[in-house]
Amino acid sequence: MKIRVERDGLADAVAWVARSLPARPPVPVLGGILLEADSEQDVLTVSGFDYETSATVNVPATLSASGRTLVSGRLLADITKALPNKPVELAVEGSRVEIVCGTAKFSLPTMPVEDYPQLPNMPDKVGELPGELLGTAVAQVAVAAGKDDTLPMLTGVRVEIAGDKLTLVATDRFRLAMREITWTPAQEAEDTAVLVPARTLAESAKTLGASGATAELALASGDGLVGLSGAGRRSTARLLDAEFPKYRQLLPDDQTTTAIIEVSKLVDAIKRVSLVAERGTQVRLEFSEDGLNLTAGGEEEGSAEEAIAVEFEGEPVTIAFNPTYLLDGLSAVRTDRAHMAFTTANRPALLKPVDEDGQVAGDYLYLLMPVRLPG
Amino acid sequence: MARVRLVIARCQVDYAGRVTAHLPMAMRLLLVKADGSVSVHSDDRAYKPLNWMSPPCWVTEEPGTWTVQNKTGEKLVIAIEEMLHDSEHEMGAEPGLVKDGVEAHLQELLAEHIGTLGTGYSLVRREYPTAIGPVDILARDEGGSTVAVEIKRRGEIDGVEQLTRYLELLNRDPLLAPVQGVFAAQQIKPQARTLAEDRGIRCLTLDYDALRGIEPDEFRLF
Repeated sequence: MKIRVERDGLADAVAWVARSLPARPPVPVLGGILLEADSEQDVLTVSGFDYETSATVNVPATLSASGRTLVSGRLLADITKALPNKPVELAVEGSRVEIVCGTAKFSLPTMPVEDYPQLPNMPDKVGELPGELLGTAVAQVAVAAGKDDTLPMLTGVRVEIAGDKLTLVATDRFRLAMREITWTPAQEAEDTAVLVPARTLAESAKTLGASGATAELALASGDGLVGLSGAGRRSTARLLDAEFPKYRQLLPDDQTTTAIIEVSKLVDAIKRVSLVAERGTQVRLEFSEDGLNLTAGGEEEGSAEEAIAVEFEGEPVTIAFNPTYLLDGLSAVRTDRAHMAFTTANRPALLKPVDEDGQVAGDYLYLLMPVRLPG
Repeated sequence: MARVRLVIARCQVDYAGRVTAHLPMAMRLLLVKADGSVSVHSDDRAYKPLNWMSPPCWVTEEPGTWTVQNKTGEKLVIAIEEMLHDSEHEMGAEPGLVKDGVEAHLQELLAEHIGTLGTGYSLVRREYPTAIGPVDILARDEGGSTVAVEIKRRGEIDGVEQLTRYLELLNRDPLLAPVQGVFAAQQIKPQARTLAEDRGIRCLTLDYDALRGIEPDEFRLF
């Protein structure tokens, strides 16, 4: 293999693939990045696979000789990131790969490419949507996914496909986030629901969102594989084989108190008052005709209080939340104003975005369980 | 029967032996155990002594000075300025520390709720004997194949090695083979998880409170 490639394209591709490599590869080859130069197309294919997730990127390249080689992913990522902004020449010589860029020269040992597992084929496409929309929607939902692997079903994002409606849901038992979007389903796509590992999905969707390209979702439920592609990047992940909780019944259908708040003001106020709330404690919200009064802390650790104006309607209510979870929800609505709905201090609160015309948007919701009030 | 002696005194301690160490004059707790060992404690956490002499050793008491000496000639010299307390107590036989109470309880709970391993699992027995020690739990999966479970509080590399040894032995038994391994712990270290998965052993994180049926006090959506 002998190729010439632009430094930026190579560095981005390698960095993206390296991100999905395992931190502790049980077999050294799994910590490698596969470089393939195909003589038929002038591209360098950069891939990584650890049996769970795979990532592949094509980079335009000038080929002198085709071939494939496997090198340490971390090392290659560090090197390509540090290279000067000049064309990079990659050449395999015997069991080593030479990297020359400007005045910098590296020689890396390669790993046996025959030992590298076969990358999974991209499953069948089930639909597409703008990458930016996917990136936003996934970020809005994945924030509520659980991180504790005691309950694997909570570490995923449920993806429901029903015609041109795509629903994403995640919950960690304390909060639940749901986003509905309209997309373009593939002709022969069937309605289905799968559970995708939240972390992997969030990573892939974030990259696609930043690229501005169209994102394609692909599924092979039988093989338990999900694929996401766009902007020359393809990634696959193994689906979680677990039952997602029946969440629709959790969504409250009545409310006795509603308030429309300015997100940035409330976020700043929560951050301020929760300075006295030790880790894992609560911030209390008191809604009344006079507005919203925020309090945190107590006699021992110091206390804080702040009042903000809100558009309030209904019964006055005092309710307490974990400040981190509340902030997660407020930053996930992605609008200047948010609509909050409550019933009582021990029932979940519902947070929804409010668009510029003052309409409560129906396509996103963040359901948050309060914490017990003192006494 | 020998007794344990407790002394609280203002004292200064010098140790002369492989290393030399000095503790300036201060209030200390001196503990003389029935085996003759002497340890010097300060009022600082539940922690090991500041200095000590392990048995066999001998205490020579002179007014104002204790000298503790062992057979290699190392000496712990305690200069006592003021004695505030001196008592002796008979402690009786020590029933022994019940180690890893949680681990034993986890085993019991997991055996009771064998479905935690997966649907259709059935218990063969707890503490299934092998030539190198008992396997925590032996079970059968829904298809009837044997599953050996090793239970730990904290899942570390050692536990995976232990289970690997059991699996190797169990797999020699034609009536049991093939035996699948499950490494179950409240927390599993990333290294241990990697090793286990590489050896085809399934990792299972156990929620002790959930197994005990203790509902957390906090509000939850479900």
